[in-house]
Amino acid sequence: MKAPPLEFHKPDTVEAAIAVLADSGGSARILAGGQSLVPMLNLRVAYAKTLVDIGAIRELAAIEDAGGYIRLGAGVSHARIEDGEADGHCSGMLRHVARNIAYRAVRNRGTVGGSLAHADPAADWPVAMIALGADVEVSGSNGNRKLSVEEFMVDVFTTALQEDEILTGICVPKASPDLLWSFQKMRKKSGAFGEAIAAVVHDPESGFCRVVAGSSAIGGPHRLAVLETALQEGAVDDGAIQDALTQTIGSLGRYEMQIHTVCLRRAIEEVRT
Amino acid sequence: MTTLSLTVNGRQVSTDIDPRLNLADFLRERLSLKGTHLGCEHGACGACTVLMDGMPIRSCITMAASCDGVEITTVEGYDGDKLMARLRKAFREEHALQCGYCTPGMLATAYDIVSRLDRPDENEIRAELAGCVCRCTGYRGIVRAIERCIAEKSA
Amino acid sequence: MAMNETGIGASILRREDARFLEGKGRFIGDIEIPGMLDVAFLRSPLAHACISFIDTPDDVADRVFTAADLSDVKLVQPASKVPGHRIVAAPPMASDRARYVGEIVAACVAPTRAEAEDLVERLAPDFEMLPVVASMDDALSENAPRLFDEWDSNVSMETGFDSGIEEIVASAPVKVTRVLDMARQAMVPLEGKGVVAFWNERDDQLVVYSSTQSPHQIRTALCEALGLQQRQIRVIAPDVGGGFGYKAILHPEEIIVAALALKTGRPLRWLEDRFEHLTAGANAREHRYEMTAYADDRGRVLAIDAKLTTDGGAYSVWPHTNGFDAIQASGILTGPYDIGGYRVRTQTVVTNKPPLSPYRAVARPGACFAIECTMDAVARAVGRDPAEVRLDNLVKPEAMPYKAITGKEYDSGDYPACLRRAMEMVAEGPKTPAPGRLLGTGYAIYTEHTAVSTSTISHIGIPMMPGFEQAAALMQPDGSLELRVGVQSHGQGMETTMAQIANQVLGIEPDRVVLRHGDTGLSPFSTGTYASRAIVMTGGAVAAACDKIAVKLREIAAHLMQCQPSAVRLENGLLKGPSATMTIAEAAETWHFRPYELPEDVLRDGLEVTGGYRPDGDKGPFAYAAHAATVSVDPELGTVELLDYVAVDDCGTRVNPMIVDGQVLGGVVQGIGTGLFEESPFDDQGQPLATTFADYLLPTAAETPMIRLDHSETQSPYTRFGVKGVGEGGAIAPPAAVVNAINDALRPLGAELCAVPATPQRVLRAIFVAEDRAKADMETSQ
Repeated sequence: MKAPPLEFHKPDTVEAAIAVLADSGGSARILAGGQSLVPMLNLRVAYAKTLVDIGAIRELAAIEDAGGYIRLGAGVSHARIEDGEADGHCSGMLRHVARNIAYRAVRNRGTVGGSLAHADPAADWPVAMIALGADVEVSGSNGNRKLSVEEFMVDVFTTALQEDEILTGICVPKASPDLLWSFQKMRKKSGAFGEAIAAVVHDPESGFCRVVAGSSAIGGPHRLAVLETALQEGAVDDGAIQDALTQTIGSLGRYEMQIHTVCLRRAIEEVRT
Repeated sequence: MTTLSLTVNGRQVSTDIDPRLNLADFLRERLSLKGTHLGCEHGACGACTVLMDGMPIRSCITMAASCDGVEITTVEGYDGDKLMARLRKAFREEHALQCGYCTPGMLATAYDIVSRLDRPDENEIRAELAGCVCRCTGYRGIVRAIERCIAEKSA
Repeated sequence: MAMNETGIGASILRREDARFLEGKGRFIGDIEIPGMLDVAFLRSPLAHACISFIDTPDDVADRVFTAADLSDVKLVQPASKVPGHRIVAAPPMASDRARYVGEIVAACVAPTRAEAEDLVERLAPDFEMLPVVASMDDALSENAPRLFDEWDSNVSMETGFDSGIEEIVASAPVKVTRVLDMARQAMVPLEGKGVVAFWNERDDQLVVYSSTQSPHQIRTALCEALGLQQRQIRVIAPDVGGGFGYKAILHPEEIIVAALALKTGRPLRWLEDRFEHLTAGANAREHRYEMTAYADDRGRVLAIDAKLTTDGGAYSVWPHTNGFDAIQASGILTGPYDIGGYRVRTQTVVTNKPPLSPYRAVARPGACFAIECTMDAVARAVGRDPAEVRLDNLVKPEAMPYKAITGKEYDSGDYPACLRRAMEMVAEGPKTPAPGRLLGTGYAIYTEHTAVSTSTISHIGIPMMPGFEQAAALMQPDGSLELRVGVQSHGQGMETTMAQIANQVLGIEPDRVVLRHGDTGLSPFSTGTYASRAIVMTGGAVAAACDKIAVKLREIAAHLMQCQPSAVRLENGLLKGPSATMTIAEAAETWHFRPYELPEDVLRDGLEVTGGYRPDGDKGPFAYAAHAATVSVDPELGTVELLDYVAVDDCGTRVNPMIVDGQVLGGVVQGIGTGLFEESPFDDQGQPLATTFADYLLPTAAETPMIRLDHSETQSPYTRFGVKGVGEGGAIAPPAAVVNAINDALRPLGAELCAVPATPQRVLRAIFVAEDRAKADMETSQ
């Protein structure tokens, strides 16, 4: 179980990283923390002629207060968020999500940007960031662009990144101190990926409300807009949740329907009380 | 080939490596530091855990070439370290090891738990250990050894 | 037996710990031989396929080897005395047909493992897919494809026993039937399997380092495969990172690496990786029990009628065959109970999966799961407490030694007292579930034949005869002692416990004793470490060897003290005569260095001896234990939290209680894995679905509570020091205890789970079934 042959680049600027990507003609992959990519390389289920390690690009490790939002450099580790470096903006939701990703040794290397760019349907950050209404900043040969995480997550293991683009930062809107949130993750055991994830964020002050579910079974993070409206209007029962899941995702097996429904209902209840 | 320059157990190492090499294989095969064990090679069992700049990481899913300029501490690198000496003593007295294969990764993880967290209780210790598999001991001795070192710390 | 501070009964700290804590253990992957090359294997990606062609690029032809290159390697055939048992030995490499995913098709050799894997990727094999037998049901279905063309079915072995139960069947007031499934598993020692082999010209020997529990057994098999004399192969097991039975069988890789080391003249190494282990090594525990219990209306079980089907996988492993699980399970299925009627039929089928192999406690976890869940079902049927029903059914202490209906002799113990202690302990445990969760407590109790005896094995006929165990004791000139044993210690702490036994016999300080183990070049023959046998068998042999040393030391001392040997006592490492005292070291030193002080005929046969041991009457002692679990079940998500676990065991005299605790605790957590997490599922094309630890889930510290233990010590009447084996037992009861606890919790919902692991899916499915039934009942009644 050893990685296939590859070339290695470790640029120290975003521009240099983009140049390597552009030169490679699609055969290069960005290496952030590597906590998903390197296992896949070891197993030889992923191949990369060239790895572009972005660990030396200092600006990607920055956490900044940018006025209306907090900007997390794409290279910020889960552990730093767990330890509270980005705290105080989302009533502890970022910290909670970070703390429940895999294990500390993985969180020390794994990054928030890497998680989003990998687009694993069972990953936590895509669900959480969509629920928080976050945007991502992307740089490429043709300049910079900003898009919502929702737009960024195109499909299972697929993002809106072009071959020569790199995710540089995540902008999480600042919320009122009264922000209500719940992040429910059902796991088969500690540290495992979620069998079902549900995130609900509600800012009564601004009226911002998001309901998001994620997992491999449902093929990634999905916003359940119907429930967002329903939640603000009153109680939401299991039937409504099941209808919303079916409308958004299609038919689900009884087990999958049950666990997603329960996680969503618990998240909604927690926010409502 | 890629050039790599880092500090391992206090010793400066500069060498050319095959860029596909992971850190665990670099330590084991190139530096003959065999105390870092491979149990899964996909970051899930914890046997290969070492400290990078004082933080536990999985050496099997860390590319060696990513480690330029860092400081690595393996189980062979704790000479004179008082906390590690206490952990080793506690592991022995609490029967926290049997076959010994998970032990280096467990010690690195335990070192992080005791030094990073203030006074974690049993449940927190167990949660922190969740990334490390021991197939022999049933974990009781490991948890107790860590509890003991935490108690000594705050005594 | 006198207790002393470092002898039998003392929890002295382990001698072996120091090297592991410093990272100085020496495992198979740590061995460096100059010029060594790495081996990687091309393995079949299909479960059943014809191999018509392997395209080997010309430039690497001398580094790629297929079955054709091993044509002079002889197939090592397991044997069986079971009538009609059809056995097909696993070929080291598939030649024309592969029968499971992961079966080896070619070997590639390169300076590093990564480069060897690069070579594997360059091979272009041509597989033609054949119809797949992916499950027991597939195997037994009409018109099932055949694994072996010359067979008339996929049934490899059938056995049966019938004590005559027709009368009970006709008259018993209570009849309870359950189908109970235990999933296929991988054993997952944390260190994978591994082999290093090279030819040593000077010694005229093939040296094979292998991560094995049974070095002499592997030597026997390799000699047969390679046509070498036993003196020409030395098998060395270095530090071994867990075995659990996985390393007690002959692996095809051992043969291939050894054969290719001879062929190429180069030192070769193969280290199993986790992907290989979870696919080609998914080889344990897949059983289905169709149980019917006949009982009176108080739940006193009168007869058990059972059918057991095991998924034997594609081939028979050496030496156990694929039938070992069925034989072991059917031999203990009535458990620790006094049951007067027993009928069982077993069927072992072949499927396109890795060959079934004996995993810690071989089949007993399945048998215990079957009888113990059935006991709970009986209790429910008669409306009584399951623990009380058990107490009524257990063999009573006054009935010991008890001849079970299976013919096994339970030698000693008080089973009801053991269960009552577990009941007491679990009653003191946590009893408050979180809101919305259901709480349940479950029990399981077993008795286990440890140190399985020659007569038992010879009855089955497999080529692994325990016979007499041997140990060599070499008294050194300075009075220190070297013990050499053929078993291998891989976590059991034998470097410590064998020194304690030497201390018990000779009074020698454990620090002055060293144990050499796991090396055919150093030790007397042994079949190895398995079947919870080492403390009984090797412990007995070490004691026998030390007895001989004691006689010799007393003889030396008697000469020096001018008295009769019978007047010399050996106490606390001192030789005490009527008028003088000397140390062991003084006696040993005199014989070695100052023989002129002794008459010329003293100890002509020296101070290095071999002792042999077999329990009285060739009887393996029965250890036993009662376990209890308390769980909290989330009935909406199907998740199970283990809140409390207690185990009360009796393994006779405990040589080192700390180590006994460790063996039990480790076994319990493995059993919790079987009960709640671990599963190697295959799809209908025989593709393994749990190929990494993301899908093959192991219990960690976070999934286990602080397990609480207690012990009793009923000495076996048949063994030296009254010991019984303890290495495997912890793993037997947890699947049953956990599922009984879950079913206790689910009782308000009318749901019952009959399969392990109890994953959220299985728990919810059980709840759905109950919900649907309740709904249907309601509709019917309306």
